[in-house]
Amino acid sequence: MTTSIAAGGGNWRTINIDALDPDSPYNFDVSALAPSVDPVSAADVTSLGTQIRQLLRGGDAEGALRGALESVPYGADAKGKETHLGTIIEILQSIRQAEMSPILQRIYASDGGVELLDVLMKYIYKGMAQHTSVAAKPAIQPQPTGFSQISGRSGGEGGGQAMSVLLSWHEKLVEIAGTGSIVRVLTDRRTV
Amino acid sequence: MAPEVHHLFHHSIADHSFTPDRNTVAVTRDNNVELYVKSGKSFSLKDELRGHDKTVTGVDIAPNSGKIVTCAQDRNAYVWEPSSTGWKPTLVLLRIDRAATCVRWSPSETKFAVGSGARLIPICYFEEENNWWVSKHIKKPIRSTVTSVDWHPNSVLLAAGSTDGHARVLSTFIKGVDARPEPSAWGERLPFNTVCGEFLNSTAGWVHDVAFSPSGNAMAFTSHDSSVTVVYPSAPDQPPKAVVSVATQLLPLTTLLWTSESEIIAAGYNCEAYRLSGNEGGWQLAGSLEAKAGRAQDEREESALNMFRQMDLKGKTKNDTVLNTTHQNTISTIRVHAGSPESISAISSSGVDGRLVVWNL
Repeated sequence: MTTSIAAGGGNWRTINIDALDPDSPYNFDVSALAPSVDPVSAADVTSLGTQIRQLLRGGDAEGALRGALESVPYGADAKGKETHLGTIIEILQSIRQAEMSPILQRIYASDGGVELLDVLMKYIYKGMAQHTSVAAKPAIQPQPTGFSQISGRSGGEGGGQAMSVLLSWHEKLVEIAGTGSIVRVLTDRRTV
Repeated sequence: MAPEVHHLFHHSIADHSFTPDRNTVAVTRDNNVELYVKSGKSFSLKDELRGHDKTVTGVDIAPNSGKIVTCAQDRNAYVWEPSSTGWKPTLVLLRIDRAATCVRWSPSETKFAVGSGARLIPICYFEEENNWWVSKHIKKPIRSTVTSVDWHPNSVLLAAGSTDGHARVLSTFIKGVDARPEPSAWGERLPFNTVCGEFLNSTAGWVHDVAFSPSGNAMAFTSHDSSVTVVYPSAPDQPPKAVVSVATQLLPLTTLLWTSESEIIAAGYNCEAYRLSGNEGGWQLAGSLEAKAGRAQDEREESALNMFRQMDLKGKTKNDTVLNTTHQNTISTIRVHAGSPESISAISSSGVDGRLVVWNL
């Protein structure tokens, strides 16, 4: 069989042998190995966001944060996830710096608190990824030296502010939940 | 008591195994396995097992027969037996097309299991009539590299951790080699490749290590999400009684060991061994094995300004190349050193820093 392929002029070096092996992971849906998540519709995420914002307006920032982290929409589509990210960023921005650590401490000490803080860490990273991609994309300019430079976050003043909020949350969160929390975000197959 | 530290060489140690008298230790070093003998307070090199032509990934000494089994990335395993002319290797027919990752003798010493990147576990046993070691493959539900294996005290059940995020309990019953095992909470009838349990934790991170409790009635696994999960089975084909997961603040733990039914020692990328204690109701991290003298005034990370000022004034910054842990790099293996299975009194650990450490608990 090898000879016939070679003789036929096909480039046998580029044959994907894994595709020919029925036992190969290439022919296996890897997502079946991940924990299953229930689908959530974008409308549900939006209405949840409204409820949480009401809590926030009522002055219960901690309750709002906890509620938002408890009902994380793993099964939502990209738009739904985006909506929930917006809700969480809004909560994070409304909490004062001095209150961050006590709130995180209380969540950490409560039942299932570690899991909630891991979810928060996921949103912090997602928030960071978001703001850089929005602000930085048009700002990358190839330099004559061959290096590309991200020239400041000009025009994204609001983005820069959100970033500094996320960075201070990140610092406080690592103090409490440790590097384990970061590793769990990298490892977890359930993304936000 | 202070741990006994032996810095053997400047290479990583993937695995180590002591003889039952604890006077000789086999450690992996690149493509070879080196045998060190204790003389006085230190270990000196006595013998080398040469045969593999890729990095050796596992070594295990059978406590009663004294046979050494090794496996390597060259896809081979050898059983080494002492003879008048030195150690004599016998090639084992693993029939795998990817690297072997780990190897362990069964408590009965008639079989051993080899983890592999070929998504299967060769269970190897000696065939008298042909005078060689042959293997039977456990294939079925495994979807990725097997990173670790651990034997149940009955020598039939095997726990296996895999990079597909699952820790599994499988039967390795081989007719003619094994006696029929007593029924347990894991299963009653156990033909070869019976899947007695498949477990994953909430993040489905890949599994670094698995271990049965001393009685074999519980199994623990550690995965790359920095957590340790303990599974208590209830009855055959029933969901487990309890699955307890401890998410730690640490970097991932790569190896774990039960020191009693209610205590686990785990170590990994933090270069430090930790004690976990608990039962079916819950587990928690109980602290580090290391006594932290003077660790309290742990220096804070220098500010950049301070660092450059130091460089300007003194020409160097503070010497921060030494970790304040006993191991100076990731711990890759911990093993029982002394004590009965139900209450271990000493353990040995080896790591990427080339150190071998004996800890009294």
